[in-house]
Amino acid sequence: MRYLWLCFAVFFGTAIKASTGLAKGNSEGIGNFKLSFFQDTVRKDTSAKDTLLNDSIVNIRKTLYNRFSDSVKTTPDQLSLFPAISLQQYLKGQYAGLYVQEPSGEPGSVQNMFIRGAAMPLLSRREVYQAQPLVILDGIPLITEHPFAFDLQQFDFNRPGPATNVFANIDMNNIASVEVLADLSASAIYGPRAVNGAIVLTSKKPGSVRSISFNSYIGMVQRPSVTTINGKYENAFRQRFYDLYTTNGRYSDDENYPIYLSDSLNNVYSGRSDWTDLYYRNALIHGINFGISGGTSRANFRFTLGNTKNQGVADDTGIDRYSAMFNINMKPVPWLVFSAMVNANRLERDRNRYLRDRFAQVNYFPDLSAPLPPNKQYYADYLNQYKKGFDDNKTNLIQGFARIGVEFGKFKWSTTFGVDYNEGYRDVFYARTLLQGNSYASNFYGFNQRLMLDNKGSYDFTPTKNHQLHVEVGQSIQWDTYKYTNAYAYKGANDYIKINLLESDPTNGNYLNPLAFPRELTYRFLDKTGDNLLSFYGKADYTINDKYMISATLRTDGSSNAQPTKRWFVSPVVSAAWSMKKEFLQDNTTFSDLVLRASVGRMGRLNAYDNYAQGPQYTATTGYTGNLTVPGYNAIAVLTRPYSAGWIGYGIPWSYSDQIDIGIDAGFFAERLRLSVDLYSKTEKDLILGVPDYAEYGYKQSLENGMSVNNRGIDVTIKADIIKQNTFGWTSSLNVNHNSNKLKSLPRGLNELVIGNRLLRVGQPFDQYWLLTNDGIYNSVSEIPVVDGQPLKYNGIALQPGDPRWRDINGDNNIDNNDKMLMGHSLPTISGGFDNNLRYGSWNLNLNFYFNLGRKLINQDMANRFDFVNREGNSNISSVKEITFWEKRGDYSKYPMYNPWSTVIPYRTDQDLFLENASFLKLRTVALGYDLTKLLSRKNVKVSRLYVYGSVHNVFTLTPYTGQDPELVSYDGFDPGYGLPIPRTYTLGVKMDL
Amino acid sequence: MKKILYIALLFLVALTGCNKILDKDSVRVVGEKNMWNKLEDARAGIMGVYALTRSALSDNNGHWIYGDVRTGEFLSPNRQDLKAVTSNQLNASYPTIDALSDWTRFYAVVNAANIFMERIGEVKAVDRRYTENNMIVDVAQARLLRAFAYFYMVRIWGDVPFITSSYDGKFENKPRESQAKILVWIEQELQKSAADLPFIYSANDEQQPGSYYGEGDGRWGGALATKNTAYALLAHVAAWQGNYDDVATYAKFVEDNYGKSRINYQSTTDLTNSNGFFYNKNTSQMFGFNSDWGHIDGSVTGHIEELTLAQPVVTKNVPDIYMPKDTILRVFTLLNDQRFSLDTLGQPRNESYFVNFNGKYPIFSKIKVIQGGTNDPNFRYFTSALIFTRLEDIVLLRAEALAVLGDTNGAWNEIVNIMTRRGVTTIFQTGDVIDVVFQERRRELMGEGHRWYDLVRYNKIKQNNQQFMQLINSQGIYWPISRKLISQNNQLTQNPYWK
Repeated sequence: MRYLWLCFAVFFGTAIKASTGLAKGNSEGIGNFKLSFFQDTVRKDTSAKDTLLNDSIVNIRKTLYNRFSDSVKTTPDQLSLFPAISLQQYLKGQYAGLYVQEPSGEPGSVQNMFIRGAAMPLLSRREVYQAQPLVILDGIPLITEHPFAFDLQQFDFNRPGPATNVFANIDMNNIASVEVLADLSASAIYGPRAVNGAIVLTSKKPGSVRSISFNSYIGMVQRPSVTTINGKYENAFRQRFYDLYTTNGRYSDDENYPIYLSDSLNNVYSGRSDWTDLYYRNALIHGINFGISGGTSRANFRFTLGNTKNQGVADDTGIDRYSAMFNINMKPVPWLVFSAMVNANRLERDRNRYLRDRFAQVNYFPDLSAPLPPNKQYYADYLNQYKKGFDDNKTNLIQGFARIGVEFGKFKWSTTFGVDYNEGYRDVFYARTLLQGNSYASNFYGFNQRLMLDNKGSYDFTPTKNHQLHVEVGQSIQWDTYKYTNAYAYKGANDYIKINLLESDPTNGNYLNPLAFPRELTYRFLDKTGDNLLSFYGKADYTINDKYMISATLRTDGSSNAQPTKRWFVSPVVSAAWSMKKEFLQDNTTFSDLVLRASVGRMGRLNAYDNYAQGPQYTATTGYTGNLTVPGYNAIAVLTRPYSAGWIGYGIPWSYSDQIDIGIDAGFFAERLRLSVDLYSKTEKDLILGVPDYAEYGYKQSLENGMSVNNRGIDVTIKADIIKQNTFGWTSSLNVNHNSNKLKSLPRGLNELVIGNRLLRVGQPFDQYWLLTNDGIYNSVSEIPVVDGQPLKYNGIALQPGDPRWRDINGDNNIDNNDKMLMGHSLPTISGGFDNNLRYGSWNLNLNFYFNLGRKLINQDMANRFDFVNREGNSNISSVKEITFWEKRGDYSKYPMYNPWSTVIPYRTDQDLFLENASFLKLRTVALGYDLTKLLSRKNVKVSRLYVYGSVHNVFTLTPYTGQDPELVSYDGFDPGYGLPIPRTYTLGVKMDL
Repeated sequence: MKKILYIALLFLVALTGCNKILDKDSVRVVGEKNMWNKLEDARAGIMGVYALTRSALSDNNGHWIYGDVRTGEFLSPNRQDLKAVTSNQLNASYPTIDALSDWTRFYAVVNAANIFMERIGEVKAVDRRYTENNMIVDVAQARLLRAFAYFYMVRIWGDVPFITSSYDGKFENKPRESQAKILVWIEQELQKSAADLPFIYSANDEQQPGSYYGEGDGRWGGALATKNTAYALLAHVAAWQGNYDDVATYAKFVEDNYGKSRINYQSTTDLTNSNGFFYNKNTSQMFGFNSDWGHIDGSVTGHIEELTLAQPVVTKNVPDIYMPKDTILRVFTLLNDQRFSLDTLGQPRNESYFVNFNGKYPIFSKIKVIQGGTNDPNFRYFTSALIFTRLEDIVLLRAEALAVLGDTNGAWNEIVNIMTRRGVTTIFQTGDVIDVVFQERRRELMGEGHRWYDLVRYNKIKQNNQQFMQLINSQGIYWPISRKLISQNNQLTQNPYWK
């Protein structure tokens, strides 16, 4: 730490010295203070197009390299019309190149974002985490939930703890601008954390004019209508297989047909299937944001309070957010500004009641021979048992900074101390009736914390007329800490003591042992990881005549997660822009603007895990399937090589991203038509991949660098004022991204690699499914091909009538992995949004569409329905049936009637039988608004703005997909049927500024 | 320009100074520099080898699926994967079968033992608390566990890659080595280890004076390998090789010395009580891996109870595996057998081995250590120890050897010794003594992961079961090698039967 301060002091000192030297000739600049600079101390680059700034931020100098293109509706004011709870929902379909994945409509659940494609194959939640863009709020890079906590669990459905979306902490009413930085030239100053792109949020700033704002909406989410089925229906469905493949209704002597289906007189299962009355609902949502702002030109503040409630349409889910935000600026002397911000949010989330998630959390599977009944009466019993316990999920998120800025003429300096802290609590109690007489209590507390110290100075210089030079140097330190403690226990004394009480008397011999739960069934966990990042950067922009501009950034970053011999990484970025309008088309009336941009650069990528830095290592984990957290041997802690996590050697370098972007911005007919096109290519290099190997040395895999992937594509944004009259206007904008990814290389120069159910093959896209081709069914022995007296086999098992007709691609008379082909894409090749604004007088109509094309998914939900033989009656994950088992989704008649008992597992998901086109077009918003401002001002009511609106969201979806909503898939492209529907929502709202 | 130079220089200065905050050790794992420095590292290392062995055997309940389910004597009503195992369809594509075809977890044991033996000298060199004797005993255990892992593997896969050093960081793909060669090595290793192992820990054994890692004998009894363990394993290895001379010798050593390890015979009640022999750990567990209740070491999986127990023993409707009534009656033919026998009315005399005998699924409940040795049916949380061998097993193994060697009387003596302890009073010493030995082994060791290997040995001796001989000769007694492993290591070949 001492060293740290030392190096600060040295750095600061020299910078000041250097600056004063430089600033000497510019003494008249002192006092010529612009507050605006400090409001956004991060200088917006440069030749990046994607700085989609809002004009309201007047303080950003509009120069050639500060181009804005407000092509798509990007004003937060517009975004805030959507009753979203998370940032991802706000931004979905709004920016070319930003793809938002919403695996569930459950309010406050985790969603994923990818800017210009995924930076690596999404093999697990670890990769999903590492492919996320950085979100920056007022210069604070927001910390997210580290996936290390998943190590605790057998299944990775949810992260332990509240698993609440940490980006549910943004109230769009507090935000002045949202920028999506897709290009390195724009994101380079944010460093390696922004290697996947950055989303920069700037909060509304205080002004010297006193003002009050009030934004509110109230709305309703509409219960979806679904087709329900009951035991009789399911029984009939299965009996068709029995009729076909058995003679006496028994496939084998010891077969055990489920009683809940066979007993047709049983009302519990075969009666009315009306569980939906208790599962789905019409629910309320609302949002209130109240803000005041005021002060003088020397000191001013803005303070807002808000509450948002977002109830889900299914399973009593919902989230409640209480938010407060405070900004302050003070200027005690003309050359010094102090500013601070605090954004605090409290999130309380009601989670779904999926059995799968509960059993995975409890790590215990009760007898599953009787699923939840489809009848309302009996289902209510279950819900009542559930309500005896609780599942409290609370998250507190707080971000804040304090910043001191000084300005001596053209020299500016700012020091920022920033904190992002979020903590999550999950307290669970499941009554004994829910788990065959065993209660369960769990208490989780975890926090993610980022402390940040940031210094930067800049100098603006005009060597000669029309030449401008901007130089910036910066340094920052970030300390990240992630920690959790979790204790859970089984079999409490009764259902009244719902928490895991511990003996609190230190003098008692039983100190800290559980009282109400047996000590032997109480498990405690504690884990911590962290990452320190130290960065230095320099940047220079040079502009000539507002016609040519060149910018260069050079930075070096040191990470504690990098191996000691490879601590530092140098990332250079160069960009240039050229105004062709000014060069050639000065007097052309068709072209109102024409700028060519290009950037090329390299950015390091941080290791997500601190164990990569250790090289060969030892771990305490020696668990096995179903019991991962074995606490050593004979109650003694153990240390062994990380056999299940994988071998890590020395010499692992930084992985990095090489990016090129070429763009053009054009305006036509006095900016009535604006076009912005960007071609990009991003190549990730030296990515770490777990290569399955060294089995004979005990390892599941070896973590090695050397994987390289490429994403290339095009972002297009078109905005046109189709009709522009005084009383009537129609503005239409379209944003599209086309992205294609490709695996460029694998570690060790391998050509292909099988990891789980995926094949990674060099030269092929990495988001493809690896599937057998299904050509129907073998109805009789005579149809099964025979070569040299051997019938066609599946992995050595001779195929029988009733088995699928899989295509023998390599013709070796054996169906195996070599006959699987890469097909489909789990990420869209084309995605975007289409927005229309119609204005008539004070009326305003908005239509917003969102679409994905060229994306496929695996309908696992359907596969599970047909694969009932392998999913019945066992006490494990495969036999779990949710209440939604009694919902009919999709068309059963499309699928051949295979012999479900066959050991080749005919309804396996690694075949194209369940591969479906998941393209879609959604009408996301229809909003009609009326601006009352003029009317009121005529009546001498003093308001600066009053706008009322009504809207419908998620109006319809056009898709060829036969299952649920094609958006509701997990990151790997599988639709397990677990996504809660994204509901149709009706809202009425008001926006008022006084 | 000068200024830029200055700034660059300052960057450099700052960089070197600030490296401090980047030197941050992980608190989740231990790096190389912090390992093998202390006595505690040695303890964590050797216990790690034990823990990995337990995990290797428990994973997916492998020990019992290999040993008991594969025989087809147990049937599975619901689990398609186990049905495939019972019908010897080991190339069926179920996740469990895939996992059980994968030897990675056994090689983790081998690798951990290799590393331990290579690195333990470093602890000895720096920590004076770590005595010479402690190191000898630790190395002997690591050696034994490594040999055991190989023994377990060759029984399942036949020929396996043979690796006796860690190759740390310079891993090489190795081809499969002949089983016979490995077995010879295993025997040598076990002999070496036997020479160094004490009979008992922390109880003033002359080969292990003082307390072992500061813990009393109660902590270690049943948890660690002893000299008797080594000889018991030697007997098993010799039997698998067909060297029945050696089996008799090794088994005799155990019969003569078991008391020194405080090992004893188990009464039927102790054997089948939920807080009896299989509960937690005790010195009679000649080679076992405990899941001690008090150590919060129990689990819902990795115990035979997960497969066998169901209504009415635990609240689970249908067991994963059960033994059909007629099989039970065929096996338990002895009068007054306390394990299982019918009374004059044709009803089971007791519920020691089977509960719900007259129901659709007789529940094999010999081992039923629920929670802290209770009979609470509601929470399927088990703490039974995984027992590889116990005294009765070795006595019967000696009987087998003597029978094969022609000492019929000697064999009968051993058999009678066991049968009498199970309440069988009327013993007619007639019939083929080899048949009787294996029948008795089947009854006594049911559900302890022995039956499949017994069947292999039995058929090798008798040579009269055409079908089984065919299986032996075509190497069908082994498991297929996971396709994943073959694709990772191009030197591997599939077992011919599963090609």
